[in-house]
Parts: sequence; structure tokens; C-alpha cells
Amino acid sequence: MTQTIIEFKNVTKSYQETQVLTGVDLTIEAGKFYTLLGPSGSGKTTILRLIAGFSNATSGDIIFDGKRINDVPANKRRVNTVFQNYALFPNMNVFENVAFGMTLKGVNKVQIKEKVTSMLEMVQLAGYADRSIDELSGGQQQRVAIARALANDPEVLLLDEPLSALDYKLRKDMQYELRELQQRLGITFIFVTHDQEEALAMSDWIFVMNEGKILQNGSPVDIYDEPINHFVANFIGESNIIDGVMREDYKVMFAGKEFENVDAGMRPNERVEVVLRPEDLDLTTPENGKLIVTIDAQSFRGDYYEISAHDDDNNEWRIQATNPSVLNSRQGLTFDPEDIHIMRFDESEDDYDARLDNYEE
Amino acid sequence: MVEKQSRWANVYLVVMFLILYSPIFYLIFCSFNAGQYMQNFSGFSLVHYGELFSDNRMLQIVLNTFVIALLSSLLATIIGTFGALGIFSVRKSFIKNILLSLNNILLVSPDVIIGASFLIFFTLLGLSLGFGSVLMSHIAFSIPIVVLMVLPKLNEMNSSLIDAAQDLGANSWQVLTRVILPYLTPGIAAGFFMAFTYSLDDFAVTFFVTGNGFSTLAVEIYSRARQGVSLEINALSAIMFIISLLLVAGYFFINQHNSARKNKKGRGRG
Repeated sequence: MTQTIIEFKNVTKSYQETQVLTGVDLTIEAGKFYTLLGPSGSGKTTILRLIAGFSNATSGDIIFDGKRINDVPANKRRVNTVFQNYALFPNMNVFENVAFGMTLKGVNKVQIKEKVTSMLEMVQLAGYADRSIDELSGGQQQRVAIARALANDPEVLLLDEPLSALDYKLRKDMQYELRELQQRLGITFIFVTHDQEEALAMSDWIFVMNEGKILQNGSPVDIYDEPINHFVANFIGESNIIDGVMREDYKVMFAGKEFENVDAGMRPNERVEVVLRPEDLDLTTPENGKLIVTIDAQSFRGDYYEISAHDDDNNEWRIQATNPSVLNSRQGLTFDPEDIHIMRFDESEDDYDARLDNYEE
Repeated sequence: MVEKQSRWANVYLVVMFLILYSPIFYLIFCSFNAGQYMQNFSGFSLVHYGELFSDNRMLQIVLNTFVIALLSSLLATIIGTFGALGIFSVRKSFIKNILLSLNNILLVSPDVIIGASFLIFFTLLGLSLGFGSVLMSHIAFSIPIVVLMVLPKLNEMNSSLIDAAQDLGANSWQVLTRVILPYLTPGIAAGFFMAFTYSLDDFAVTFFVTGNGFSTLAVEIYSRARQGVSLEINALSAIMFIISLLLVAGYFFINQHNSARKNKKGRGRG
């Protein structure tokens, strides 16, 4: 049984006129890796700052370990933060940075030295204790920032887009390291990012945010396979989103044809949006295709070809194929009934879950 | 073409420095004159230096000047630093701008006006003129300088440093003493030295607020110059010039040493 550590109850936050969070409810369980995912300005960093105590909620309750902490100052909260720009103290060396929290608490020197040494070992910076901050590379500064935060034994570690300043390769490595670190320590991580790839790769649970609201939350697989609306489908990975009509249960019509699918529980003839992921689409001969498309362009992406095409109704299709195709040729397009995902307009997450429970029984 | 240009640039530089420094060197040269006046160099002698060191009144005034400069710049640095922190922490940009403008007005307004207003102020309060009044007015005109040196450093500081310190458990006082003040140190030091030099050579303000028994170097030299400058003043100027030259040289070598060390470390990493 996992235990709830942080809870938001109808939390709002406004700066003067602008409302940056509109009634956020969320539950964070201990020991998991959470990601707040959204475009810039979606309010994800605001949530992090509210948890850390750097800003105050306009209304609503923030509950930590069963107690309301809205009025607890940042220096009394049992969470620590890794900042986007690292925020290492330039007047201290690596050792002093990592020891900062413990020095304030008055921990004795021997213990501090022990802890700092083990922290630096953990982030693979053993032997860097005497370096000054401006001698470190971006990736090394990142590790010092993580060590500094974890040296205080926080119950929750907050990470504010910590990888965004690193180059691609290093970012990939750090994703694995962070994930591994979280699993080893068993501390709750709350990670803020606008990079969907990062979110999918690292998280146990993702909150997708836009315009101050949580649109959907779920495991990476759930969110990728069953996005709840147009925004989520578009933001998480690439998608083909086509207008369609749900004829009846398990029968959807789009691009001028009727297809078998696996969704149900909607009104007959309800207008919906149909999502098909590019990697679920396959090109075949025109006779075998469920749809006929004309190839418009293709580009080589290393492990696959990204092909764009249009069908006879002028719907755009993006396809990921292992083999190249011929420009302007007519090809068949196939997919399985399970690949079709239906999104209703204005369906909330709760309604969606309720509908799913209904027809799956 | 480029070479020709740079040669003319060098000539220009040399001429400019000659013009700027020749009066000072002439003054120093004359301090070694055996005669009584700056005209007719009648032979090398240290007689004016001897005169200077036996002139107790002059030595007392030199001491006064340095005490005033040190005390006023020290106090102004403390007050000015907290003033800069105060201005920085004001959220509303309208009020912030008003405070900044009030600060800058004090910097640009003529010394004569500041001096006169202090004189009126002190006499209104019934304070006697002397050490106290000079010290207070020097502190007052030094504060805006310190604010102006510290504020840019504050503005360039990453605000998440403060968040980070709080996050790690620092209370407001610890944030100030362990993170903000160490970060501001170069700005504070610059403000201190600026305030020190301003106080050291201030004439106009001091002239208004010194009483009978108290005087600083600038005022004293001015009043002696009215009866014809004695070469004792030249001797004093020579000594002060040498001291400031040594200070600048020392500063240069410390800087040089620091940056060399940094470079060396940087290479070690590469």
C-alpha cells in the first residue's frame, strides 16, 4: 500500500490579474517518479514552487504528510530542489555547496565530511570536493546541484527542468542516471519538463498540463496510447488526428470509410476525433490498404523514414516506415482496430475513466 | 595603413598622459628644491620634507583626513549596502524608480549646494561644527555612491540563489550573510574605495561644515595656498602620490596573481 505524501486540493495561483493555476487537484504518492509535463507557461513550475514554498497559493490547500503546509516557510519544508540553472553558490567550492544545508543545521564536521563524500561518490564526482564552481562543466554542475539537494535527506526531491541546458547525449545519460538514482534511494521525485520524450522515458506517472490545468494524468503508456484530447495527443508524440463519426459501438467512420475499432460507450453518430500514431501505420499495396494515400514527402531519420501523405479526402497522414517509399506513388495504408483511438470533444478525465469502466465490464 | 594608425594612436596616448601627469611631476620635482619657491630650482634638498614632518598641525590634519575618510566610507558602505538591498527588494517598479532617482539626484547635485544645505541643517539643529559634522556630511554624500556600486551586482545576481539557500534550510539572516553578502563583496569593496577617495579629496562640502578647530587636507591646502603655496605642500603631495601609486600597483599585482592562478587551474582541467 503506497502512502500519499503530497496533496493539492483545488489550488489556484494568480499574479495580479493573470491566473496561472486554475483549481489544481493532485495526489503524489511516496517513492515514485512523477513528471509535470507541459509547454512553457502551463503552470508546471508554479506547482513546483508551491511545493517548495517559494510562492504562496492564492487559494486551496497544499497538504504534506497529512498536514496543511500553505504557511510553512521554504526553509522548514522537508523537500529540496534542483534548479534549472543549478543555482550553485559561486562563492563556495563543491564541498561547501554540498555541505551547505548540513552546516546550517549544525551537523558536526566529521558527519558532514562523510556525507558529502558519499554524496559526491553517488553522483560520480568523487575527488571534485575542492574544485570551485566555475571550473565545472554544465553536466558536473548539474550533479553537484543534485548532490547538494539530496545531502539534506529530503522526502521529496523537486527537479525544475534540470536537463534542459545539457546537450542531447548528456541529457540521455542523465535521464538514465536520475531514474536509477530515484529507484535506488526510493525518494519521491517530482520532475518538471516540457520534453515529452524525457517524461515518457523516466516517469512512473505523468501529469500533462496546459494553461494552468492538469489535463490528464496517468502512466506513460496510458497517456501515450489513450490521450484524452487533441492537446494531449499532439503534445505527447506525433499523431494523426482526423475528424470522424462514431456510428455505433466499435464502429467509427473517418476519411469516408467505416472501420472496426475497440472503443464504445458514446452516443450513436457522435462527432469525435480519431487518433492514429504514425508508427502504427503501415504502407502496403493499394489492394491491401484500408485507405489509399498519395506520398507527398519523405525524410530519413536514421532508424526510420518519416513519410507524409494525403488520402483522397485530403487528410494529411504522417507515417513512420522502415523502408523508403516512392514520391507521388499511390499506396495502401493499413492499421489494426486496436490502433484507432477515439477522443470525444470536451470529455473530462473522470468521464473518460467512467466510460472505460462501463464498457470493459 | 593599420600600423600607421596605431602609431598615431600611440603618439596621441603619450601626449595625453604627458599633459595629465606633467603638472604632478613638476610639483614633485619642486618639492626637492632647496629654495623657497617653485621658480628657480636652486639645488636638491630634503628641507621641505623635514619642514613637513615637524609641522604638527599639518600631520594632525593628515591624520584627521584619513580618519574621516576611513570612518565615513566604512559607515557609508554599511548603510549604502543595506540601502541597495532595500531598493532591490521593493516590488513596485514605480516606487523603486522614485527611490533610485532620489539616490541619483544626490550624486549629480553640486557639492556646493549639498555643503550649504548641510551647513543650514546643522546650524538649525544647533550642532557645533567640527569632526562630527564633517563625518556626517561625508557619510551622507558617500551613501549614494555605495548604493550605485552595489545595486548592479544585486541585479545581476540570480534570484534562484536565494531560493536555493532557503530551500536548503537557511533563514533570512543566513541567506543574507552566507549567500547575498559574499556574492556582493566585489561591489561592496568597489563602493568602499570610491567612497574613500571621494571623502579624501572632498573640498566643497567639507569647506562649509568644518568649524574653527577642525580641518581636512583639502581645506587646509586651500587656505594656505591663498598666502602662497609653501613647498611643504609639494612634499606632502609627493608623498601622497607615491602612496597612491603603490596602492594601485599593489592592486594590479593582486589581480594579476589571481587571474594567473585561475588560468592555471583551468588548464589543469582541460
